Amino acid sequence: MFEQQLINGLTLGMIYALIAVGYTMVYGVIQLINFAHGEIFMLSAFLAVTFITVFGLPLYVVILMTMGCCALIGVMLDIFAYRPLRQSPRLAALITAIGMSIFLQNLAMIIWGSRPKPFVQEALPSFLRTTAVTIGEANVSWLQMSIFITASTLMIILFLIINKTRVGTAMRALSQNRTSAALMGINVNRVISFTFALGSSMGAVAGIMVAIYYNTLYPTMGYVAGVKAFAAAVLGGIGSVPGAMIGGIVLGIAEALGAGYISSLYRDGIAYGVMIAVIIFRPSGILGKSTVEKV
Amino acid sequence: MENLPWKKFDPMNISLKDAIKYLFLAAVLIYPLFAFANEYVLHVMVLIMVYMILAMGLNIIPGFCGLLDLGYVGFYGIGAYTAGLLTIHFGLSFWVIVPLAALNGAIWGVLLGAPTLRLTGDYFAIVTFGFSELVVLFLTNEIWLTRGPLGLPGIDPVIINFSWLSTMINPEWDWYWEFLGLRPYFYLAVFLVALVYIIMGRMEDSRLGRAWFAIREDPIAASSCGVNLLTYKVIGFAISAAIGAVAGAFLARWTMFLSPDMFKFWESFLVLCMVVLGGLGNFKGSLVGAAVLIALGEILRMVLPGLGLPAETRFLAYGLIMVLMMRFKPMGFFPNIATQSQNNPILIKLKKELGSSS
Repeated sequence: MFEQQLINGLTLGMIYALIAVGYTMVYGVIQLINFAHGEIFMLSAFLAVTFITVFGLPLYVVILMTMGCCALIGVMLDIFAYRPLRQSPRLAALITAIGMSIFLQNLAMIIWGSRPKPFVQEALPSFLRTTAVTIGEANVSWLQMSIFITASTLMIILFLIINKTRVGTAMRALSQNRTSAALMGINVNRVISFTFALGSSMGAVAGIMVAIYYNTLYPTMGYVAGVKAFAAAVLGGIGSVPGAMIGGIVLGIAEALGAGYISSLYRDGIAYGVMIAVIIFRPSGILGKSTVEKV
Repeated sequence: MENLPWKKFDPMNISLKDAIKYLFLAAVLIYPLFAFANEYVLHVMVLIMVYMILAMGLNIIPGFCGLLDLGYVGFYGIGAYTAGLLTIHFGLSFWVIVPLAALNGAIWGVLLGAPTLRLTGDYFAIVTFGFSELVVLFLTNEIWLTRGPLGLPGIDPVIINFSWLSTMINPEWDWYWEFLGLRPYFYLAVFLVALVYIIMGRMEDSRLGRAWFAIREDPIAASSCGVNLLTYKVIGFAISAAIGAVAGAFLARWTMFLSPDMFKFWESFLVLCMVVLGGLGNFKGSLVGAAVLIALGEILRMVLPGLGLPAETRFLAYGLIMVLMMRFKPMGFFPNIATQSQNNPILIKLKKELGSSS
């Protein structure tokens, strides 16, 4: 049972990590908790199902299309909601983020209805639900295997983008000091938009994965997943991309083990508890640098 | 005590604006006594007053101390369940239960506030959010205590017991106590709103209120002037939590039924909307914010099903209102005088040129 919980937790953790990088990148660059990020995750699941049912496209194409759409939604969110508030107090931006989150969630409720829907099973290759390998007593399904592989690939790509490309360098420069970055000739708004696009497309893949994994999607799914991913980002050290990855995996495993051995009723509570404890005792997280508070 | 509203009242010398205000207030207060008073309208009015209490209480944290509290609904829930359980198991009087609920709220406020109020804005918002989610999880899962998702029914609604009057004077008058229906709650709610309003007004003018404003405007300057930041913030948080718990206690006795669903995050968001709409740091504005948003919610609740949409989609409107408010009037419609100076165009221009560091 322990191995099985570990495998399930790792799968969940990979998904949390994918959403968490979106939070952490945006926080790193503009110091804003993008509450609406969870809603982009939810929209991606609904968009994917719509693309499959309406256009009858294969899953691989749908994932790419959804990534594109969500990247666009993320950029729109930045341009219309957050950009006008760059110079405003932090409180205003934070409230706007919550407002956008509630707005998008209810928009999805209007468009797709509030009842949970199953994922379109016909679109999935049938082997996904079968066991790929057996480790000890634990069965790893092909679905879990694909989640591991997809998520790890995406994270490697993300790591390369951030560390090896010009725009990645610009992102890192921006997270150090926005004014100096602008003085060095970086187009600040374009880099911020790129950050939103990158984070949102990672969240989009996670949204589709969760919809397939649990075979259900509903308009409020972004809320809980968003909070857990944020908890993962905090756990790893907010602003740090590798931290978000580690935080997501640790949180996923903690949640699966906690649900298995302590109480499944407090499954969500474990994430909140971890988050509160980390914020109180070590706000900089596992990999975060302890920054001197700016006043 | 000179600036209490009734001390200023001078019937011989009253402006037209004030006269209309007082007449409106009197009309609202007298309305329930008429037989034609609609039960639904009364219900909405009581609901508005519950949210008025909540909005005034919440305003202390984002409005006066400048911190975002996303977990206010947690204290509301704690107060409601404290009152509900005490009523069911011990049958205590409302007047005993309200202080107990407020005390329990304040205790949790201190327990949460003392370790977390050192944190900066975003982190504090998230911790309070996590706290309110934990409260909901507790209420849902501790079935032995709260009956969990089944809810807590059968809370004795009687606040003022009229039965002795009826038997003493004339048993045939039962129709009258039946006619009263929601009306005692209405006046009780008026009393509680007035009480909180007076307390808030006194606090704003006191050393405490000035310390909060100082903290909001510039924490460093405040602390170098000898204001103990943490102490004042924790006091504010505890008072805010206690007021939330009072609203909850009233809710428990009024609705006679509690369920964990009533204390989800949306409620916190709704109250925050009221505070921001009415004006950060202006508790009178919170009264207006509560009345406007609840009335708007009720109108939308009637309109939306006609359009074939679930009534919950009214949050769409709330979300949009919040985003637009922050964009065009970040301090609300009736900002506090102290914050108006912050919105001074010259100051804003200066801040933009220097690059806002806050």
